[in-house]
Amino acid sequence: MATRLEPNVQFIREMQAAGGESLKKCYQCATCSVVCPLSPEEAPFPRKEMIWAQWGLKDKLVNDIDIWLCHNCGECSDNCPRGAKPADLLSALRNMAYKSLARPAIIGQWMSSAKYLPILFAIPAVLFLIVWAVSTGLKIPEGTVIFAKVFPTLAAIDPIFILTSLFVVFTFATSIGKMLSSFKEAGLTPKEDAPGFLKSFVGVIKDEIINHRKFKECQSNKDRYPGHLLVFYGFVALAIVTGIVAFFYWTNKLFGFGMTTPLSLLNPVKILANVGGIALIVGLVYLTRTRLNADPKKAVNSYYDWYLIGVIWFVAVTGFLAQILRLADAAAPAYTIYYLHLVSVFMLFAYLPWSKLAHLVYRTVALAYARQIGRKGLNE
Amino acid sequence: MADKKTGVYICTDCEIGENVNMEKVMEYIDEECSPAVLKQVPFLCGKEGVAQIQSDVDNEGINRVCVAACSPRVMWDVFDFGPEVVVDRANIRELAVWSFKDPGLPESEEDEMSDPLTMMVRDYIKMSVAKLERKTKPEAEPLELDKTIMVLGGGFTGLTAALDAAETGYDVVLVEKESSLGGFAAKLYKQTPTKPPYEQAETPVINELISRVEGNDKIKVMTKTSLQLIKGAPGKFKATVKQGDEEQVLSIGSVILATGWKPYDAKKLDSLGYGKIKNVVTNVELEQLAKEGKLNRPSDGQPILSAAFIQCAGQRDPEHLPYCSSVCCMGSLKQAGYVREQNDEAKAYIFYKDMRTPGVYESYYRAAQDDPGIFLTKAEIQEVTEGENGKVLVKVTDSLLGEDFEVEVDLLVLATGMVPTIADEPVLKLGYRLGEQIPDLDLFDGFADSNYICFPYETRRTGIYAAGCVRQPMSMSTAKDDAAGAALKSIQCLESINRGVSVHPRSGDPGYPKFNMVRCTQCKRCTEECPFGALDDDEKGTPEPNTTRCRRCGTCMGACPERVISFDDYSVSMLNEMIGSIQVPEDEEEGGYRMLVLVCENDAYPALDMAAMRKNKWSSYVRFIPIRCLGSVNTQWIAEAMSKGMDGVLLLGCKYGDDYQCHFIKGSELCNKRMDNIGETLERLQVEAERVQQKQVSIDEYDKIPKIIDDFIEQIEGFGPNPYKGF
Repeated sequence: MATRLEPNVQFIREMQAAGGESLKKCYQCATCSVVCPLSPEEAPFPRKEMIWAQWGLKDKLVNDIDIWLCHNCGECSDNCPRGAKPADLLSALRNMAYKSLARPAIIGQWMSSAKYLPILFAIPAVLFLIVWAVSTGLKIPEGTVIFAKVFPTLAAIDPIFILTSLFVVFTFATSIGKMLSSFKEAGLTPKEDAPGFLKSFVGVIKDEIINHRKFKECQSNKDRYPGHLLVFYGFVALAIVTGIVAFFYWTNKLFGFGMTTPLSLLNPVKILANVGGIALIVGLVYLTRTRLNADPKKAVNSYYDWYLIGVIWFVAVTGFLAQILRLADAAAPAYTIYYLHLVSVFMLFAYLPWSKLAHLVYRTVALAYARQIGRKGLNE
Repeated sequence: MADKKTGVYICTDCEIGENVNMEKVMEYIDEECSPAVLKQVPFLCGKEGVAQIQSDVDNEGINRVCVAACSPRVMWDVFDFGPEVVVDRANIRELAVWSFKDPGLPESEEDEMSDPLTMMVRDYIKMSVAKLERKTKPEAEPLELDKTIMVLGGGFTGLTAALDAAETGYDVVLVEKESSLGGFAAKLYKQTPTKPPYEQAETPVINELISRVEGNDKIKVMTKTSLQLIKGAPGKFKATVKQGDEEQVLSIGSVILATGWKPYDAKKLDSLGYGKIKNVVTNVELEQLAKEGKLNRPSDGQPILSAAFIQCAGQRDPEHLPYCSSVCCMGSLKQAGYVREQNDEAKAYIFYKDMRTPGVYESYYRAAQDDPGIFLTKAEIQEVTEGENGKVLVKVTDSLLGEDFEVEVDLLVLATGMVPTIADEPVLKLGYRLGEQIPDLDLFDGFADSNYICFPYETRRTGIYAAGCVRQPMSMSTAKDDAAGAALKSIQCLESINRGVSVHPRSGDPGYPKFNMVRCTQCKRCTEECPFGALDDDEKGTPEPNTTRCRRCGTCMGACPERVISFDDYSVSMLNEMIGSIQVPEDEEEGGYRMLVLVCENDAYPALDMAAMRKNKWSSYVRFIPIRCLGSVNTQWIAEAMSKGMDGVLLLGCKYGDDYQCHFIKGSELCNKRMDNIGETLERLQVEAERVQQKQVSIDEYDKIPKIIDDFIEQIEGFGPNPYKGF
């Protein structure tokens, strides 16, 4: 019995709206799969995704692991003789995965279009305004600028972000489960002699993520490599700083030793924080520039791209400004900016599973799973 | 005409003078031919050279001029000395000096001999003089004729051709068998785009065309009219047509055949469900449903939410039509649009072997491809079955999706192809001795086509020009050009025969074959072999020539065993004289062999020229004589050459067979048959049959010429000299 195919016209329109607007232009020459530095020999992407997309074959596309093997370098779109932009289609499919994998779905809906941005902003804005109202009655405290005066760590910041983290972790746990079972549904099961998931996972981090190996193979979009690398390590540095600060906050609270914020500028942890922040901004400059300079004939930037870049800019700029204003002792603007910084950090982390940043998790998991099923690029 | 007075002018430039022993040439020609004037002139094609000849024409009464210089294919416009003077060109540059390869013979002690190149030059000049002796200038026989052009078929092509001819100033009779004009174009719901950006189907323009035709007072439109018979010849055709019960005879000058196509019989496509499953229709039937505004499922009138199109249904398939009908890809893209415009969620699948949308139509393909509801893939159809609820299941393999799959649709459309109307029935109904149909249609799968590079629109019947889909499958845009082309051809025909000259391919030739009926034995060979059916005959079999049907190839002349057919400037005896002018050395060890090469002047002779211009060399034992077509080769010439002691005869002409290149279609093929007979005769005389051979060469194969000739010579040398030499 041959497979019955039932194209989904609505799904085609959704893919087009999510960034794959040129997908119908493909005429299956396979140039994309030939030039792709990462595509496997067997059933290479993105050629097959293009015809599936043209035919609106939703079942095949939502279970497709290959959309995560793609690192969006754009080589395929650059060389496409038809302007079908395969890279944009895979990007759109990932955007649709962000939207559909994680629950509650309403956040996915809000994250998919600029018209919902006020809601996404309003949630943390109101939340932290309430904190401010409770702590000082929305007033600017006297004396040295210490942000904890308005946003107390113990009473507000830590509970909020710990709960948010738990929410994010839980959301990812369920959506990863969903993603892995969709791969299995597509007939992708680990080989008998496959390494365990954890081993594969660590392997991916060690061999691919730390060195950004796959980014380096890209020829057409070279600036993305340093940009992505700087942003990535900027975040790693800031995560380490946040961890150290949190750890010593609690040791201080519980055992009476540790450190209190704000830290001195010469404190190695503070130095690490500022270096991380600068790396983040430099990386952002790279990434923003490549997005702005993209040839619209080759690539179209989706809302998902701009949301993430925008929010990271928001985080980085408010973070630095808050520090500068605090050091300048400009109380009113300092507190206000710090308030915005908290809002931006919330927007980055609380909505992470529905944002483009979720690729951090999904791609890593998919790459680990790809190792288990033995799906490798030509050069691997 | 005054007495023949010959002048021979030998050019000494272009390396001729420095390589040829001019003194010996002059001496020999003077002795052998005694022309009234014999001169060697440097730079003969220059002003002074030509002036010398002109002066002799004016003052000495020279009326036969032999120009011994370059090929007649160059400087062809230089040597013209008015209507009374016959000119012949002895090609001693390309055929002798430039292509000369020294055979390394010992120097002869005999008086009449000379070095091989000089002998060759002497032969060519002597042949030319012999030709001039026999040649007269043909006089055209202008004809009073009816210049009305009859257009058969009132579809898009016929309408366009009628309008083109009428607007050029000719009277037109447009004959259409149906009750209204427009043909298939009038049955279209929409037509594929004709203007930039070529992305949208358009409202058919046929009505505007019909009203222009109907409003043109030079065009007489006859609908519900069938053609009964065409008798006569171009310029004086009598066409019997029947309108209702009334028959009338029209006087017609030339005919444009634009009867178009009919759809392939889909009943032969039952393997694709046609005739077995109700919701399987052809593209023509779908067009009709759309035109009538009834684009619903034929089985139950329910709306069509999905449709599949199978391209090349019964096409590009040896079991059905072997060719591509060229319009079905565009047609199905258009019809997929019909399905889509009914419902925004409707789906249209197109399964193709190749998507063929050439040129600007690529834009239309792109536009259709961009529609989210149109699904395209290359595929082979595995099976078509009936599903539940009137649905049709189409199972495909070898698709772009990388797996075998099936789709369930409300309607399956078979993109069936075009069959030319002329394929099965003699639409023309010619009252010709050789039949009412155009012959050999199977060479073009039933289409009334001809070699498309050299002779578009020309059928094998002079004065009848095919255009549109009866000639080749084509789109309306192409048919428009085709109609103009055929209209111009039909006008060229009228404007040639009214002056008594040939239409094509020997355009402007005033000569025509003359029949010496006294000696005719009514063997009918000429009648039957004429590729153009030019000859009718009476009850006894005496040929009845129709000069305006004739293309002057001389096939009849070659066929005639009694040699009663000749042209003023081309005849059996003329060539016999030329062959007789070749000096055959008695001893091949001293003077070498001699071979006659009869060269078709259409393609083989230009190839020869090109080979020589590129400084190719070949044996100096050959003597070339250009002929109109291998079809005009009379076996008498072979006999003459062999009996003169020549060692072999090579015939160099066009390719024949399915991909023939013969300008007269059948000439080289007929010649080949005659040579088989010659071979038998030679063997009876104990002479090797291979001494006479025919080789095919196309115009671009000049590089093969030296090898063809040298191989032939080598073979003859293997046989040794002609045993009858010297008898």
